[in-house]
Amino acid sequence: MSIDPVSLSAILPAGEQLGTLAPAPLQQPASGFGALVTDGLNAVNATLVKADSEVRQVALGGGPSLHEVMIHLEEARLSFQLLAQVRNRLLDAYQEVMRMQV
Amino acid sequence: MDYHALFQVSAAGMATEKLRLDVTALNLANMHAAAPSANQVYKPQRVVTQAVNFGTQFGRLYGAATGAQAVVVQQDSAPRMVYEPGHPYANAQGMVAYPGVDHVAEMVNLNTALRAYEANVTAMNAARTMAARALDIGGQ
Repeated sequence: MSIDPVSLSAILPAGEQLGTLAPAPLQQPASGFGALVTDGLNAVNATLVKADSEVRQVALGGGPSLHEVMIHLEEARLSFQLLAQVRNRLLDAYQEVMRMQV
Repeated sequence: MDYHALFQVSAAGMATEKLRLDVTALNLANMHAAAPSANQVYKPQRVVTQAVNFGTQFGRLYGAATGAQAVVVQQDSAPRMVYEPGHPYANAQGMVAYPGVDHVAEMVNLNTALRAYEANVTAMNAARTMAARALDIGGQ
């Protein structure tokens, strides 16, 4: 006994295209949400890299004063914590959507 | 981030107190440096801080506080004359000129600078804790 595979074309009306189910393309990728997240990531990364280079300079016996380096480290840590909190909120929202009953 | 300006205010205070500590250490290091004549003797240095204009708005205060508001001036104190006839720098009366560094005042300056620095660090830590608490809003 042979089983016919279920094909989508048999269910869908003749004129309907499957392409309409695909997510709509981003209208403005340059100023969209992805760009926002990327900009935030780059800013946090820049503060981390700056603090790291200052720590290197202090370790080599030069550069800015110690308290400025520590303050920049704290600023980098704060900005990273802000990024982590944003990520937590986004993940929570995503999981909330995924748990939604349909 | 608005906490950035607060950190800069504390950093300016820390830089001032660090300068005060440096100058005090310089005075203490040259305390026993004799000179051939009373004119060439080391003059003790003193840090003079200028108050930031607190009457203006906070934004302008933040802008002004980022710059160093301290200058180092020479103190015009009379040299300390010590009777040491065998010293190579002794004058006709057998007196040697030493810098007029007030040892007790320098030690008090040292402690004052240390405590003021600690106060700035505490203020900065309070600001950091406040920012961290703000990030806890809505957390589990």
